[in-house]
Amino acid sequence: MLGRYADNLYWMARYLERSENMARRIDATLHHALTQTNDGAAEWSSVIVSNGNAALFNEKFSGHSMANVINFVLRDQANTNSVMSLLGKARQNARIVRTALTQEVWQSLNESWISYENALKRPINIRDLPAILESIVKGSSLFRGALYGTMLHNDIFNFVRLGTFIERADNTARIIDAKYHRLLPTASALVGGPDQSQWEVMLRSVAAWRSFNWLNKGRLDPVGVAIFLIFDKRMPRSLSFCYKEISSNLHDLEMAYGRQYDAGDTARALAQTIKDGEQNNIHMSNLHDFITSFISTNNQLSLTIAKDFNLN
Amino acid sequence: MFDEMIDPDSDGARQPYASMFEWLNEQNFSKLCNQSKQAEELFRRIGITFNVYGQKDEQERLIPFDIIPRILSAQEWRVMEAGIVQRVAAINAFLDDVYNAQEIIKAGIIPSDLINRNKAFLPQMCGFKPPGGIYTHVVGVDIVRTDVNEFFVLEDNARVPSGVSYMIENRATMLQMFPELFTSNHIKQVSNYPKQLFRSLAAGARDIADNPNIAVLTPGIFNSAYYEHSFLADEMGVDLLQGSDLEVRDGKVMIRTTAGIEPVDVIYRRIDDEFIDPLSFDPQSVLGTPGLFDAYRSGNVMLANAPGSGIADDKAIYSYMPAIIEFYMGAKPLLNNIPTWRCGNPDDLGYVLDNLAELVVKEVHGSGGYGMLVGPASSQRELARFRQKLIANPDNYVAQPTLSLSTVPILTKAGLAPRHVDLRPFVLVSPNEISVTPGGLTRVALKKGSLVVNSSQGGGTKDTWVLEY
Repeated sequence: MLGRYADNLYWMARYLERSENMARRIDATLHHALTQTNDGAAEWSSVIVSNGNAALFNEKFSGHSMANVINFVLRDQANTNSVMSLLGKARQNARIVRTALTQEVWQSLNESWISYENALKRPINIRDLPAILESIVKGSSLFRGALYGTMLHNDIFNFVRLGTFIERADNTARIIDAKYHRLLPTASALVGGPDQSQWEVMLRSVAAWRSFNWLNKGRLDPVGVAIFLIFDKRMPRSLSFCYKEISSNLHDLEMAYGRQYDAGDTARALAQTIKDGEQNNIHMSNLHDFITSFISTNNQLSLTIAKDFNLN
Repeated sequence: MFDEMIDPDSDGARQPYASMFEWLNEQNFSKLCNQSKQAEELFRRIGITFNVYGQKDEQERLIPFDIIPRILSAQEWRVMEAGIVQRVAAINAFLDDVYNAQEIIKAGIIPSDLINRNKAFLPQMCGFKPPGGIYTHVVGVDIVRTDVNEFFVLEDNARVPSGVSYMIENRATMLQMFPELFTSNHIKQVSNYPKQLFRSLAAGARDIADNPNIAVLTPGIFNSAYYEHSFLADEMGVDLLQGSDLEVRDGKVMIRTTAGIEPVDVIYRRIDDEFIDPLSFDPQSVLGTPGLFDAYRSGNVMLANAPGSGIADDKAIYSYMPAIIEFYMGAKPLLNNIPTWRCGNPDDLGYVLDNLAELVVKEVHGSGGYGMLVGPASSQRELARFRQKLIANPDNYVAQPTLSLSTVPILTKAGLAPRHVDLRPFVLVSPNEISVTPGGLTRVALKKGSLVVNSSQGGGTKDTWVLEY
């Protein structure tokens, strides 16, 4: 397939995954804000900070009120990582590679875009917010289902999946990184008791609140949350799961093209690092270094894929 | 004025419309209007859109689709088809001649300057025989009708004609919305056009490869016909390339793929000549591929259509088409040409200036309905302004009488109403045959009385039926 096509497919998937993650993060934060007694400004501010958008946000708004953050993250055109911008870019990429997608995959994206374009045209009323967030996540699910059910599972599919999981791994790692200090045993003492609502936001942001509770019979401890998000191979948004998928898709490409690639080596090495961390029972005080190095290697892999497969 | 549905003598329907007329009378008007909206929704969901240059607010627009089909009888189609095949054969013979022996100039039929000093003439093509001897693999011939048996060719599109995806999608939409119509009428199908295009291109390239690697080349997502480019690549099952996907190595044209580079044999290019190759044409162009034209001249790749084909559809050449057909085909043209005054000729210019209010004046190199004057529909001020332009640069214009184009019914808020139409049938040329897909794209001027059918000027389209018998 064309290198440029692979590039557009890869980024289409990344943008779409990122928009879904944004919506989940907003949803988790909204849940937090509506159920806690404080005003939640710190939590809304952390949404902006962990997306790396603080400078632009502060230019446009004074104060992290819910309305400001929601409008910025969901529909601000100047924000290249707003859900609206991301969906526009995902659709643009899909339009470029239409011939590589089935009708169902293309239409799922196009229809989502048409409906958000309408829903996000005007400032968002908080009453409409849950429905909007739900439909963003649903649109993403529909895309995934159409992708799985109607596309050939060939190199086109592999590049889409690589985009999805590299983005997802980055997202999960960033959420852990933004909140890692809350997971340290000393943190509990600092805030006067374990701040359970923080872990809840984390788990909800990666759609894992219920599955975590189900696995742990309702026991919520910070180390358990960290181990779950990093190492649990059953959890579709854990770093371990993402790297299982990334390695397997790169392996498919190596089989299809009949040679080994640097990208495959990088992915296998990172998968091994995760495995080692699990076996050596990584200490929470090393968590920050582990995550920082993970994020950087994950980014590096993205560049290596681009180079190995002529994505440009 | 000739209406294609209503028979003025009986006030009933003309024969090809008999069954449609009955069906229309049985329909509930508001339900039809609803279905018209549904059709539009269908187009938007599939993403059948086009871009209008110079319009910022809404990048992608829908071409209005009218759900009342236009119907041609088998007999009417036979007349048109024979005329089109003859004309397109003549166009290819003409191109072969002007880029080689130039017999038609030597015979004194066309003045040398009109060819050799024409902007559309590519000296780089002289002495070169394109693969399979074909210049125009795909042609669109615009035809208008003024009476039962009066068909005129309005213009030929021998460069990169577009619209064929609308022909196919319009039919697909009608099949989905009104399946019952296709059981009560016997209609020639159009949906196999992409497969025919593939076979036709492959046949043209048989000297290059037995089983050629074919690709479509697009200027990209912002081009007004991008949907069509992706549609055709998709339906043919081939790659949709941009210039940056290609590179020329050792005279061979290669595609950059995820697994390395691989050769391409046939490029159905939907970009204009001047953007193909910055080394041979416009050095500023970022759309093209350096070295592509040399690879073409070495016979390693087939370009469809051949560069330089534009000399055949130039509006200044148009007026010579009857003579061109007679010269190469040895027979009178089967389809009429519209009488054309060449404003570069002082006698013609005098006539045009005296009768401006009755004429249609077009730019020789214009397209898309831009920069033209429809005399009877223009104000005194517009006429005066155009008169100045004509006097300043007469070579740039040709003029034609304003034809009374046929009308067909469209669905409006006030019910059915007649509107003017033209027809663009699509023609495929291979070494084996010249074939015309039955029907074509009917473009309709949606404004009452308007004669301008271009989509960039507010025109719409319709499904076009050719009956089996």
